[in-house]
Amino acid sequence: MTTIKQLTLVDDDEIFVFLTSKMLVHSKLVDLIKIFDNGYDALVFLKENLGNIDALPDIILLDLSMPIMDGWEFLEEYVKINPLIGKKITIYICSSSISPADVIRAKTINEVSDFIIKPITKDKLVELIKNL
Amino acid sequence: MKTLGVFFNKHNNPLIMKELDDYKYALDESAIVAITNPKGIIIHANDNFCRISKYSRDELLGMDHRIINSSFHSKDFIRDLWGTIANGKIWKGELKNKAKDGTVYWVDTTIVPFLDQDGKPYQYVAIRSDITQRKQSEERLLKSLKEVSDYKFALDESSIVAITDQKGIINFVNDNFCKISKYEREELIGKDHRIINSGFHPKEFIRDLWVTIANGKIWKGELKNRAKDGTYYWVDTTIVPFLNELGKPFQYVAIRSDITLRKKAEEDLIKYSSALEFKNTQLIDFCNIVSHNLRAPLINISMLIDYIDQSTDDEERQMMHSKIKPVVNHVMEIFNELVESIQVQQETGIESDKIYLKECLDKVLISFEAQINEYEASIELDAGEAPIIRFPHKYFESIVSNLVSNALKYKSPERKPNIKIESKKVNDTVLLSVCDNGLGIDLHLHRNNLFKIRKTFHKHPDARGFGLFMTKTQIESMGGKIWVESTPDKGSTFFVEFNNQIV
Repeated sequence: MTTIKQLTLVDDDEIFVFLTSKMLVHSKLVDLIKIFDNGYDALVFLKENLGNIDALPDIILLDLSMPIMDGWEFLEEYVKINPLIGKKITIYICSSSISPADVIRAKTINEVSDFIIKPITKDKLVELIKNL
Repeated sequence: MKTLGVFFNKHNNPLIMKELDDYKYALDESAIVAITNPKGIIIHANDNFCRISKYSRDELLGMDHRIINSSFHSKDFIRDLWGTIANGKIWKGELKNKAKDGTVYWVDTTIVPFLDQDGKPYQYVAIRSDITQRKQSEERLLKSLKEVSDYKFALDESSIVAITDQKGIINFVNDNFCKISKYEREELIGKDHRIINSGFHPKEFIRDLWVTIANGKIWKGELKNRAKDGTYYWVDTTIVPFLNELGKPFQYVAIRSDITLRKKAEEDLIKYSSALEFKNTQLIDFCNIVSHNLRAPLINISMLIDYIDQSTDDEERQMMHSKIKPVVNHVMEIFNELVESIQVQQETGIESDKIYLKECLDKVLISFEAQINEYEASIELDAGEAPIIRFPHKYFESIVSNLVSNALKYKSPERKPNIKIESKKVNDTVLLSVCDNGLGIDLHLHRNNLFKIRKTFHKHPDARGFGLFMTKTQIESMGGKIWVESTPDKGSTFFVEFNNQIV
C-alpha cells in the first residue's frame, strides 16, 4: 500500500473536513492530516516552512469559497512562492462549485492538478493518493 | 442720280476699284463671308467660311444654308430672320451652326440684303465672326451657376444652414435652422451662436472649435444645442471657413443635420446596456450563490447520509445523525436570505420616504444600546448639511443598521469604538459616510468580494457575509452606490451615495 506522509485540507466546511478526515484515517494511507479553515492560514504555514520538507504536505485539497482568503487568492499567492518550496506539492481544487467558469479558470493554473467537484468519496480519495 | 451712277460704276473708275478690292480683302481676312441668292442658295463662300464649316467651297456652292443648320434655333427664330432680310432689313444675331464633322460653332452674324431697283433683295451678304469660345464659356458659366443654385436648393432642403461673419455674428439662417431652433429669423440675425448654446459642452471643446475654424480649417463634430423653448437638440455639424485673399476667414458657413433621435437612441442604448450589465452581474452572483452556497450544505447532508448508511457503529451513526439538523437549518437560512435579496431586486418603483437622519439613527441605535454600553462606544452624527434623505424607509433603516453593526462588530480590541456619521450634499446627491476606528479591511485582498454574499473577512463568530451584500442590493435597487475606504488596523469608512435628492 502506498502511503503518504501528509495531506492538508484547506476548507472552512466543518462537516466536509470532519467526514474527509474520518475517511482518510480509516484508509490508513495518510500519516498526518493538517487542516486550515482559510487560505490565509495555510499560506502563512507554507511560507514559514518553505525548506522544511517534513512539515510540508504531499497533497493539498483546496476549497474555493472560504473567508479571509479564498481558494483563488490562495493560489495567486502560492504561484509566487512555489519556486521556493522545497517539495513537490500536488494541489487538487475540491469545491462544491459546479460553475464551468471555475473549472476553466482552474485549468489556467499549472499548479492545480485537477478540479474535484464535491462530494468526494472514499474510493476517489484512495485513487488520488495511489496515483501520486 | 447721275453722279451716283458714275460713282458706283466700278468698271469706270480704277481708284474706286482699288479701294473696293482692299475692303473685300480686309473683310475676307477678318470675317466669315457668304453670299446667297434670294432663295438662300450659296453663291459665294470665302476661305474663312470653308475653314469654320469644314466644307470645301465646291460642297457649299449651290447649297442653301440648311447645310450648316444645327437645329438649335426655333422655327420662329429662323422665320423672323428670313422675314427681316426678305423685307430688305439688316438682321443681326448669334447663330449656332453645325460643321461637316458634326461639331457645332457659334457665329455672330450680320446679314445685309442687297436690293434691286424695285427694292427687292437680289442677294444677301452674310458676315459672321466666330464666337464659339465666348458662347462656350457663357454656356459653362450658366451651367455652373445653375449647378450652384441647385446645390444651394438641395442644401437648404436637406440641412440646417447658418452663415456668420468672422466674429460669429449670424447674418444668414435658412428655414431649417429657424424650424429646429424655434426662433424667428429676425431673432437670430445679428446675434451670435450663444443664443442656442446648451451649456453642455466643456469650454475646451468650444475653444478647440473656434481655434480650428479661425485657422481656416474645417471643423466637424456633434453639438448639443438649446431651442428657444428650452428643449435640446443634437446636430451633426460641419463648419467651413470662407477665406479672403489673405487666407483669413471672412465668414463661416455652418451646415448641420439633426441627429437628436440618433443621440437619444445612443443614450438609451448606453442606459439599457448598463442596466443589462448590472442585471447580468446580479445573475452571475445568483448562480454563484446557488452553485457555492446552496450546493455546499446539500453535499454535507448527502455525505452524512452516505456515512450513516455505511457505518455499522450505532454510536457513530447517532453522532452523524445529529449533525444533519444544523446543516438543514443552514440551508433554510441561506435560502431565506436569497429570497429576501431577490425581493429587493424585484421591488422596482418602491416609493422614497422623507427620512430625518437624526430621528432614524436614534431609532436604529436603540437596538445596539447594550453593545454600545458594553464597548463604551461613542457615536457622532453630523447631518447639518443634509439632514433629510429621500429613500425607502425600510431600506434606509436596514442600511444604517448594517453599517453601524459592522462598525461595532469589527471594533479594534485596542480602542474604544468611535463611529462618525456624516451627510453631505454633492450636486443632486447626498453622500452619507460611516467612519469607524475598528479593525479595517485589507482592500488589496478583498476589494472584489467585499459586497458579495457569504464573503467574510474577519474571524468573527457572528460574521455571516450577508449584511453588506444586502446593503448593496438595497442601495443599487434605488440607483445609488456604495464603496469603502479602509486601512487595516486604522478603521473603515463606508460611503453611500443617494441620488435624486433634489425635489
